[in-house]
Formats: sequence, structure tokens, C-alpha cells
Amino acid sequence: MTVLFSIFSFLYQTGDAFAFLVLSACGLAIIFGMMGVINLAHGEFIMCGAYVCAAAARAGLPLPIAILAGALAAGFAGMVIERIIIRPLYDRPLDTIVATWGVSMVVTQGTLILLGSTMPGTGTPFGSFTVGPYSYSVYRVVLMVAALGTLGLLWVGFTKTRFGVLARATIQVPHIAQALGVNTGLVYSLTFGLGAALAGLAGGLYAPTMTLVPTMGSAFVVEAFVTVVVGGADIFLGTAPAALVLGAVKASLTSWQGQLAGQIGLLVAVIIVIRILPRGISGWILRERT
Amino acid sequence: MQGTNSLMKTLGLLQGPQTLGKGKPFWSAFTLVVALACAYPLFADGYDVGNNVYFFNWAFMALGLSLIWGYGGTLSFGQTAFFGVAGYTYGVISINFGDAYGLTIFALVASVAAAALLAAALGYFLFFGRISGVFLGIVTLSVTLVLERFMAQTAGPEWRVGAARLNGYNGMGGMPSLTIPWFGSDIVLFPDVQLYYFTLALLIACYLGLRILVNSRFGNVLVAIRENPQRAEMLGYDIRVYQLVTFIIGSALAGLSGVLYTSWGNYITPASMGMTAAALPIVWVAVGGRSDLTTTLIGAMLVLAGFQALTIHGSQYALVVMGALLVLTVLIAPRGLVFGLGTLVAGLVNRKPKRQGE
Amino acid sequence: MKKTLNGAMTALGLILLCSAANAQDPIKLGVLEDQSGDFAAATIGKVHGIQLATEEINAAGGIAGRPLELVIYDTQSDNTRYQEFMRRVLQRDKVDAVFAGFSSASREAYRPIVNQFDGLAFYNNQYEGGVCDANMIVTGAVPEQQFSTLLPYMMETYGKKVYTIAADYNFGQISAEWVRNLVKDGGGEMVGEEFIPLGVSQFSQTIQNIQAAKPDFVVTLLVGTAQASYYEQAAAANVNLPMASSVNVGQGYEHKRFKPPSLANMYATVNWVEEVDNPQSKAFVERWHKKFPDEPYINQEAENSYLAVYLYKQMVERANGSTDKEELRKVIAQGDVCYDAPEGKVCLDPKSQHMSHSIYLAKVNEDHSISFPKVWNDIKPYWLGEVGCDLTKKDPSEQYTPSNLPKAAD
Repeated sequence: MTVLFSIFSFLYQTGDAFAFLVLSACGLAIIFGMMGVINLAHGEFIMCGAYVCAAAARAGLPLPIAILAGALAAGFAGMVIERIIIRPLYDRPLDTIVATWGVSMVVTQGTLILLGSTMPGTGTPFGSFTVGPYSYSVYRVVLMVAALGTLGLLWVGFTKTRFGVLARATIQVPHIAQALGVNTGLVYSLTFGLGAALAGLAGGLYAPTMTLVPTMGSAFVVEAFVTVVVGGADIFLGTAPAALVLGAVKASLTSWQGQLAGQIGLLVAVIIVIRILPRGISGWILRERT
Repeated sequence: MQGTNSLMKTLGLLQGPQTLGKGKPFWSAFTLVVALACAYPLFADGYDVGNNVYFFNWAFMALGLSLIWGYGGTLSFGQTAFFGVAGYTYGVISINFGDAYGLTIFALVASVAAAALLAAALGYFLFFGRISGVFLGIVTLSVTLVLERFMAQTAGPEWRVGAARLNGYNGMGGMPSLTIPWFGSDIVLFPDVQLYYFTLALLIACYLGLRILVNSRFGNVLVAIRENPQRAEMLGYDIRVYQLVTFIIGSALAGLSGVLYTSWGNYITPASMGMTAAALPIVWVAVGGRSDLTTTLIGAMLVLAGFQALTIHGSQYALVVMGALLVLTVLIAPRGLVFGLGTLVAGLVNRKPKRQGE
Repeated sequence: MKKTLNGAMTALGLILLCSAANAQDPIKLGVLEDQSGDFAAATIGKVHGIQLATEEINAAGGIAGRPLELVIYDTQSDNTRYQEFMRRVLQRDKVDAVFAGFSSASREAYRPIVNQFDGLAFYNNQYEGGVCDANMIVTGAVPEQQFSTLLPYMMETYGKKVYTIAADYNFGQISAEWVRNLVKDGGGEMVGEEFIPLGVSQFSQTIQNIQAAKPDFVVTLLVGTAQASYYEQAAAANVNLPMASSVNVGQGYEHKRFKPPSLANMYATVNWVEEVDNPQSKAFVERWHKKFPDEPYINQEAENSYLAVYLYKQMVERANGSTDKEELRKVIAQGDVCYDAPEGKVCLDPKSQHMSHSIYLAKVNEDHSISFPKVWNDIKPYWLGEVGCDLTKKDPSEQYTPSNLPKAAD
């Protein structure tokens, strides 16, 4: 029996780490993988989603709608920033680092000035359940389901819808897509907005479980980058398996040796994976296929 | 005869295709700037002199990154790893052996060597693994973050090297300042006039040395690799070796920054290898104009002084203004602020805009 | 330029205001605190406390007849800014004393500079203890004051099995060492100890480790906004264990920021919080809200900063208006530099230049209101003196820890 409890515990922990990595990384993966933009303001989109979600929830909206509101707000902010700042930089990907770093500074400090140093939380819903000697939060299972749901919706969105086809066409050969009549500007804008909205979604989903402060995004950013790099450019073939592998590594190291080992193990895993698979997991899968 | 000849040849490389500024006007301006810099302590008070040394400390890291990123075309996001390793090495050596007999100078050399060694190991791994582009940036960033997290938890008494405690997140302190052995009594390089001249001399030496390096055959190949790695490889150059050597030199300079900073404040902390610290060198170099040593140097100084002035006078809006400035620089002056201004001025003087600027 | 302008303005003001004699230069206090960045939430109040005290003192005629002037810089939660600005206030602004620092790392960053220029710095913050430096005066609480009160109470009330989770850096490690020693002395048992790197915000695994160890209560020494997420996540997973802390509530006012009941059953030893119910404290909170109506919470470090200004005033006045460090230390050496603060009477200990405190046991209730089951008066910062730090005789300028004691030979 105890063995079963331990197995469940390990699966729960891996799932929990997986959900965190997928949700924090998929927005970044879209913006980086599809557009080649390194978005250092990723954490601020997450913060934006979390703040809007918490404000909406406190205003009386039900939590799922508040979370969606957070995602939409971040997505909208993303489209505005894409239009003004990112668009002139598409042929200079390394410069996007500096520009988005600047955006991140403005947003973090601006939030501090406008909204104060902290924001009251909303409390985690749904209570807990017990398996053997341990009790677990129900909401974290919701987070795992949300991570899988997000991946599923993205897959449908990119393979089955017209936007998805146009987006992939634009990203692969922009000038031909344009010649064929695709409004590539709009596609870029929507793709960036989608990435930002996914970041906002992560923020909204995690808002009930975290301290809401202007710098909260930084708690996600390193893990998000790590996942994207290990995964490579493709979100389904890369980000998802990467999150699974890294989640398992992190969960087992953390339970074995504590949080520090989990953190360092994660970063060391990245270096090793990149050494073996310089183009990430998705690059490796794609090469094997061809 | 042979010797003087090759010396002249080397000195000739001080100007060339890879660096801005040549001929009499540039070198007279250069001499003027150096003369002004030398005379500066006569007019400024102790605080300003010490504060300028502080700015100089970072300039080495900026120059190193300009070499790696601007000339070599590979963005390293983790120069702070070498900064930190050299800083800690300096602390460990100088605390254990003290500051007599010029041992701090030995500590300086050994620490820079340690940084270079780490860069060689990491660089071998990266360049011979054919890792490039953004991935290289992320790996170097991971390295510096791993080092930060590791050093942050070394507060316990078991983390000591000889007499030197690493002291975790609070940072290592108590190391002696750099000391030059001198007849009579040693010169202790406190953040004051002596350290100012010492650092200034080092800075000028590094700047001129790098100019020679990038205008030499090595530098030309390096730029060729940046422009088109495949073509360079077809021409028979082993680009991995060139990139590795560049990485080592640039990282050694970051290490030099680390040693000078540690000696300046008698303090080194894991936070100096953290995310914020890691992004700063990129900002300095990008704002100034990474593709040239001179613009990088001027840009780094401007950004450092500007940000500090903003923090002093702009209170809580400082970070907002800094962020906005970065965005505007990237959008309006893509080749860097110094480049942008320079072209603007040149355009006004010549009355006809040149092609090469933007 | 700015300096001359300031000088001119002050001179003009003085001529206009008090054309009589006695017009003297102001006493300058440097203030280096993190008004932006990671630590802003807990430190903005410290600046306000200093400003409030300064305003009150100036309205009552200043210090020894001289007005008090503040030179405030925002250090942005960045250690290098402390180094830059500590040099600036000491060398350029030539302040008489500096009030500086939130994190211990920032204190260690600026301490060599204070030593080099032989300045006087107040560190108005609760911390891991052990700084034995004649250039430093510490008004915050230290582990012996907070843990020697907290742990015996907890073990008596809830049982002897203890689990510690602590931030993985100097403060957490040294505090955890204190907990370990005190638990052993009290006949208890450590059933677990876990160190969490700064910035970690996900605690599922930690929560399970705690549940597996079945402690009677958990000592939470978590630092920073990211780590504070633990409480929400532990409550969601229904851990339901009493908690004890030396750092929460009093500093980061987690009970105000989280939705009840995630912090219920938390016991924290604080030297003051705004809920403290005595007339002096009530009046203090009222004065505060008159000047800063939007203050989300007045924490213990804000009170420490406020009272530090008054301590400084007293020291300068007793030194006949001198702001010289050695003159002030002679006053401290008399051993009766005390002040009736909102928390009660506090006194500076000449040996360590740390401060005695009233320690309140703050209990967070189900609805996140605070009650005080117990108050200890006049708890001394005894540890440094016991292990051999005596600043009246010798100034080692070191930070000691229970495992790094002064050498007996010294």
C-alpha cells in the first residue's frame, strides 16, 4: 500500500512540476519558436494576467472567467507591444532582448508605482483530498488538467484552423505567404498576442496560489526559458516532452535531496541536453523523422 | 631591426578596418581624452574619483562582451559567471595569503586565469558542440545562474577555503584591496587616486590591445565568421578555434572586472552572478553600439553614469525611465546610441548623410 | 552645482526663518533603503518611519537646536547600489549618520565602506545576528530575542516534534541552527529540516515531506515574496499544522496579503506590529496614518527605523551636540541609552551595540486578526556579549555565527 501511495505521490509531484513548466513556457515557446523573438518581458505578461485575474475575482467574477480575463488582458497588451516595439525588430532578434528587457523594467516598476508593492490574494478554491498519509490540493490537479487542455487546444488551433495554417506559413516563408495575399503583419501580431495571452493564462491560473507582487513574473521566467531551450522550437514535439522530462527530474531530485538539488538539477539537465541535442528535443525528433 | 619592425607593424594595427577612428583627428582626440582623464583627479573630489573607478571596473566586462558579441557574433548571456568566479578566486587567494610582497597582484593574475580556464572548458563544450545563437546565450545564462544558486547556499562554516569563508548569499568580505609593493611602504589601492590611475592604465592598455587584436589577421577572420560562418569554414578556417579563443579572451576580461570590483568594495556576492546582473552587460554594450570597441566603451560609461544619476535624482521613476530609454535606443538608434549620435553629428558637419550609419 | 544650490537655499531659509542667532547647519542623515525591487513591500515603510520621526523632531526644535535633514537614495534591492550610495553619502553628502539596509547581503556589502570611512551606520532590521562592529548600531531584533521566547512556548503548547523550512541563505541557515539548538535544549526532536533557495515559489514536494514527517508544528523561516507562496499552497493542501516564525507577520505582513485562513495558527515573535494594543502604540499608528494615509501596513522594521532616529537624537544631545562617532559611543558605553518606543522601553547594549526589545507573541487567528497570547518585556540581545564580543574594548568588525565564534585568544 505504501508503495502505491509513494507512486501516486511521485506522479502528482511530476504532474505538478509538468503543469508549471508547460503553462509558464508555452507562451514563451510560441513567441520564440515561431517568431524568433526572445521575450524577456514574458514574466511581466504573467504578472499582468495574475493581477487582472485577482482584481476580477475580487470584483466578484467567478474564478474561471477572471482567469480568462487575465489571459485576454495580457494578450491585448502583447499585441500593443508587438505593434509598437517588436515589429521593427524582426530582422534583429538579439536586439529584442534589450527592448523586451526595457519593457520589463518599465512594467515592473510602473506597476509598483501605480498599484503599490503588493496585491491581496484571492485564496485557493476547491479544498483538498487525501491519499494515504498525504493530503493534496484539488486546485493543483485542476492546474494539471489546464496544462493538458492548453496543449490540446493549441494543437487543434495550429493544425486544424485557418489561422494556424496561415501562421505556420507566415513563419516559415514570410515573403511567399505575403505574396499569396496573407496579411503577415496581422498574423505576427496575433501570434505574439497569443503568446502573451498564454503567459497571462499561466498568471491567472497561478494567481490564487501565489504572492501577488510586481516582480512575481521572475519566478516563472528561468524555468520557462529552460523548458523552451530543452524543447527546441516546436511547442508540441518540444515544449511538452521537455516539460515532462524536466518535471520528473525536478520532482525526483527535490524529494530526494531538497529544493536546491531540484533547482540546480534542472539547470544542469539543460546544459547536458543542449550538449547532446543542440537543437532541442523537437529538433532531434524532426531530424530522426527525415 | 627585426624587432622594431614587427613592433611598428603591431602598432600599425591600432587602426584598421575593424575599428572606428583613424588618422590624426582620432588620435589627437584620444590623446586629449587620456590627458583629461589623467588630470581629472586634480579637479574632482575623492567621491567622484572613487565613483569613476567603479565605472571603469565594469568597462572591462563590456569590452570583453563587445569582442565576443559584437566582433564574434555569439551572444554570451553569462559573462557574469566569469566575473563572479574571478571575484571569489581573488577573495580566496588574497584572504589566505594576505597583501604583502605584491601577492594581491598575483591573486589578480591567478583569478583572471581561473576565469579564463573556466571559459576554456565551457567554450570547448559549446563551440566544439556546435552550439550557437540563442542556445549559446541560454547555456551561458544557465551556468551563471547555477553558480549563483550554488554560492547563495554556502553560508555554513563547512564552506571555506583555508581562512576564507564563502559566506553564502551575504557575500564574501574582508579581502584586502589590491596592493602594489613599493620601496618604503606598499601602495594600497583604496578607491581613490592611486586605484584610479591603476585602473585607468589597465583600461587604456586593454582598449589598445583589443584594437590591435581585432585589426590583426585574427580579428579579420573573426569578423568574417560573424558575417558568414559557412563561408569562413569553406575558406579553411577552423571557426571553432577562433570563437573559442575569442570567448576566452572576452571572459578573461569579465574576470578582470570581477577582481577589480571585488578589490574596490572588498566584497563579492552571489547576486553579482544573478539574472539582473547578467543582463546589464548586454544592455551597456547594446546601447553604446556593440560592433565597435570605442562605442562600446563610451556607451558603457554613459549608461552606467546615466543610470546612476537617474537613480539619484529620479527616485522611484528611475527604473521606468531606464527601461524606456533602452526601448527607445533599440528602436531609434539600432547600431547603438554612440553610433547614432556620431552619425548624426558627422552628417551635420559634412552636410551630407553617410550611407553606413542609420 | 546641486550642493551649492542646496546650501544657498538652506542659508536663505535660515536667514528668513530665524534671523536671530543660533542658526546652525543641519544634522544630515543618509537613508539607503530599497524603495523599489524585490524588497520594496517591506522597506518603503522604513523610509516613512524615518521621515515621520524627522518631521516630529524638527517641529519640536531639532536635535540640540539643529534641524535634521535627510538624504534619501533608492537602492533598488541591489547590493551594488548600496556600495555606490554608501560611498556617496559618506564622501559627497558628508552625512553624520546613515540608516541603511534591509537584506543582510546589502549590509555586508556596505559595511566595508562604512569601516573604511569610519562612519556610523544604523541597521534597523531584524536579522540573523552576530555583527560585532563599532561602526554599526543595530536596532532590529536578533535570534536569541525571538527564538528563546518562541520555541519554549511552542514546544510547551503543541509538542516536541519540530520541522523547519528555511530560506537557503545566511539568515535561514543561522536561524535554523538556533532552532535546532533550542529544540535540543528543550528536550524536543527535529523531525525534519529543509532549506529552500531564494525565489522558489512552488512547494508541493516540500508540503509532502512535511506531511510524511508528522511534526507537531512547523517553523517557517521563509524570506521574500516568492517563498511566501508557501502559506497559500500549504493551506490549499490542508496541512493544518501550527506554524512558528521569527520573520513572517512582523516584516512582510503576510496575514494582510493572503486571504484567510491560510495563515491561521501562525505564531510569530515580533518586537512590534501595528496591532499592538497599548496607548503609546495606538497614538503612534494614528500619527503615522495622518502623514501616510495610504500605508498598507506598518511593520516592525518601520517602528525600528522610527525609534532609531529618536535614539540618535538622544545620543547626540547627551554628547553635547557632537555627532562624532567616538563621542556617541562614549554615550552608549554609559549603558543607559534607552527610549520609550511604541513597543515599550528599549535600551542599547554597549557591548554589541544591539538593542533590547519587548517581544510580542503574535498569533494569527482564523480571520487573520492578531492576538497576543504572551508578551516578554526587556529581552536583551545577550548572545554576542556572551561569546566574547565587547565593542567597548575591541572592534573586530566581524559577523559571528554560532558555528563561527570569536577566537578565544583574541
